[in-house]
Amino acid sequence: MKQKPRVAVFDFADCEGCELEIADLEEEVLELIEIADIVSFREVMKEHSDSYDIAIVEGSIMRPMDEERLRSIRSHAKILIALGACATIGGINKIRNQWMPDEVKKEVYGNANLKGNELFDVFQTKALNEVVPVDYYIHGCPIDREEFKSVITALALGKKPEIPRYPVCVECKKNENVCQFELGNFCLGPITRAGCKAICPTNNSPCEGCRGLIKKAETECVKEVLERYKLSYEDIRRRCTMYNYGRKECSYDE
Amino acid sequence: MKQLVKIITKKDFSTFINALIHDKSYDVVGVQAKGTHYVFDTLSSAQELRLEYDVTILPPKKYFLPQYETLLKYSLEKPFEGKETITDGPRIIIGVHPYDIIALEETDRHYLDQQQDNFYKKRRENTLIIGVDIQNVSERSFAASMKTNTTESGFDLLLTDIGSTYAITIGSEKGNTLLKNYATVKDASSTDLNKITVARNAVLKKYKQKVKIDKKDWSPLLVANYQNAIWEEHADVCMECSSCTMVCPTCFCYDVKDEVSLNLKKGNRMRTWDGCMLKDFTKVASGEVFREDVKERYRHRFFRKGNYLPERYGFVACVGCGRCGSACLPDIADPCNLINELAHFSSEEETGKFFIKEETEVLETGIIHVPRSATITKKIPLNEQDTLFEIELDDKKPLGHKPGQFVEVSVFGYGEAPFGISTPPGNTPLFEIMVRQVGNVTKKLSSLHPGDKVGIRGPLGNGFDMKSFEGKTLLFTSGGTGMVPMRSLINHVLNPKERNKFKDIVILYGAKCPKEITFMDDVDRWKKISNVQCELTVDRCEPSECWGGCTGLITTLFPKIQADRLDSKNTIAVVIGPPVMYKFVIKCLQTLGIPDDNIYVSLERRMKCGVGKCGHCQINGIYVCKEGPVFNYGKLKHLPEAFE
Repeated sequence: MKQKPRVAVFDFADCEGCELEIADLEEEVLELIEIADIVSFREVMKEHSDSYDIAIVEGSIMRPMDEERLRSIRSHAKILIALGACATIGGINKIRNQWMPDEVKKEVYGNANLKGNELFDVFQTKALNEVVPVDYYIHGCPIDREEFKSVITALALGKKPEIPRYPVCVECKKNENVCQFELGNFCLGPITRAGCKAICPTNNSPCEGCRGLIKKAETECVKEVLERYKLSYEDIRRRCTMYNYGRKECSYDE
Repeated sequence: MKQLVKIITKKDFSTFINALIHDKSYDVVGVQAKGTHYVFDTLSSAQELRLEYDVTILPPKKYFLPQYETLLKYSLEKPFEGKETITDGPRIIIGVHPYDIIALEETDRHYLDQQQDNFYKKRRENTLIIGVDIQNVSERSFAASMKTNTTESGFDLLLTDIGSTYAITIGSEKGNTLLKNYATVKDASSTDLNKITVARNAVLKKYKQKVKIDKKDWSPLLVANYQNAIWEEHADVCMECSSCTMVCPTCFCYDVKDEVSLNLKKGNRMRTWDGCMLKDFTKVASGEVFREDVKERYRHRFFRKGNYLPERYGFVACVGCGRCGSACLPDIADPCNLINELAHFSSEEETGKFFIKEETEVLETGIIHVPRSATITKKIPLNEQDTLFEIELDDKKPLGHKPGQFVEVSVFGYGEAPFGISTPPGNTPLFEIMVRQVGNVTKKLSSLHPGDKVGIRGPLGNGFDMKSFEGKTLLFTSGGTGMVPMRSLINHVLNPKERNKFKDIVILYGAKCPKEITFMDDVDRWKKISNVQCELTVDRCEPSECWGGCTGLITTLFPKIQADRLDSKNTIAVVIGPPVMYKFVIKCLQTLGIPDDNIYVSLERRMKCGVGKCGHCQINGIYVCKEGPVFNYGKLKHLPEAFE
């Protein structure tokens, strides 16, 4: 039998919620370890190895020390997968890119003397692909377990994972939801990548764009819809700040 | 035939529905509230029914073509075993409006044609439709002006609220039996019958939307306005979200995907709704997108409704439900608005043709989703990316194909892809295909070895009409992988038993570079046959490569044709190659004086289902997988999407 790929899971600035989604596979974890050897996964095991084929990385890059560690992970791994919005698009961590790092530090830590402490040596937040090449993306905040499984099985079979490049509306309509716009809400579903099975609108909450934007907010059609629903560019800019600050549109393969 | 009408009190009607629910013989589905909207869902009591509703978010098509469904279950550990799965039992759907009933009848034409979809068919047979006449009209509905506000067929029972009672029109024996078994009814009096007409007429004034052009005139209006600027103007604000097609009762295109369990032991082949407004709808494995421009997709949707399906089946594929109009955020999807806007333009200036009628081959098995088990018997690597496979059907029956036909090859867990057959017809279960590594399926296939199992559906599509070739000189032009189906044709006409039916044969073959020239053994053999001229060229040749032939595009070979071979009016030309090649080669053929009707082409599109159902391979109104892939150029040239 072919040797199982060795998989390691790492995290940077994040809530570890996406890793928790993997841990939440519960008895299916037994199936996962039939096809892969998990050699490092801080959240669920104490063992660690630097010998791995696939690195699954959660979290955003905030500091020079993070960059260094990510580069080292990249150099060990044949395949690097970005896990969750913090890793794929920067996500919530990018909200603070609205301010300069020094302003942010001052706001949070006041006048505490942090000079020379590399733990606090933050720069503007980066997604993984702003530091190293990323092979595959598992989007979402948090990720969708089914999609995680489909990416993993695709790689195990030697396939290129198929990540949707159409908007959340497709899945939302299939779920027969009342449109969030009709309910008077402002939903980013029409410009956000699907694959989440429209979980937020299906549970009565408008889409926040955590899987990345597939259309720029400046596109004619977006302007038209904003106008029809009496929303301004400022409204959409603010809405996109939650997960997509500073990012206009995902590239096709992201 | 006059339909029987019965009368039931509203109280008895509730008792009837509750009796059906408690009996548990059926999944009893009815229209019910979801917030301020309505949906079809399983009923737990007759009280939940909202028969006065205006429109549901999704049409009842979801009960016949579910949003997600498993077509096949397979095991990745067993050599090759796939089973069609259908789990739905008997069902009753209560409260279907006439326009949705008509939409189902239209869908029947597509899914219950010669190549029936078993899943759809079983669900249709298993389901009783209890319709209800419209009482309230949704904001965007224009059903009255589409004459879809009432119907006399397509239901088992049809309710009309006539005050304190419902009139029940009996539409089928099944409906009649259901009433006999579960309901207390009495015969309708002539007063009751009058009340039905009064009730239906009373609703007419509630329509706010009216389409100004009679639906039978949509087609000429659209045809005359194929190039109208309106498509681009509207498409500029299109979100490309395909919400319009998702909620449409007459949109029934689908995509198919393979899923596998985490331990890679089992898998499902899944079907899900797809939408022609999505960019990837027409994308083939090599990356080409055939309706890339939003304008083209936007126009396609309306042409499908107003021209393509009317030409094919005789009905306008819009029933005026208004769902797309409500679902479209920039409000450009509503056919009522679009047609009314187009009505300002002439419908006479231009004429165009977007559909061709072709006799199509019918699949023998009648099971359109299950592949036949087959074994790879030979594998010959041709170059870095191309591999030739010989495959044998495990049932040892001959494939029975014509040159030009194709097969869908399955590798469970990876999916299915279409391949031209490169061997000539013969009384054998063996055939060959060439696999170029471009996507997941072809990459996996390329890694398989003799003895490995694959699934085969086919032969599919229309092949070459060999009768029309008889007594003619034959000029074959192929570029790149176009040689794969061409080889089947050439070896067929060069078969000693067939050879004397045709005159001289000219073969022109071009590839990107020397290493992409495939079937060199065949080429060498062809060159030695008398009355056969065979010329090769490559687009480019690296200094390091060994190449004794021509360099240049395929068109550079035409001057080399020995003039005495071609009697242009008596020549049949066949062209198969990449999309970009056709325009130039056809020009050369026309220069030679070959009439368009003597030219045949074979086109590539995203042929997913192979049986004219899933919609991906459409060129204007035709399905390449069904009417093609082989076409007569004289007929096909009118279709603007064919060679653009």
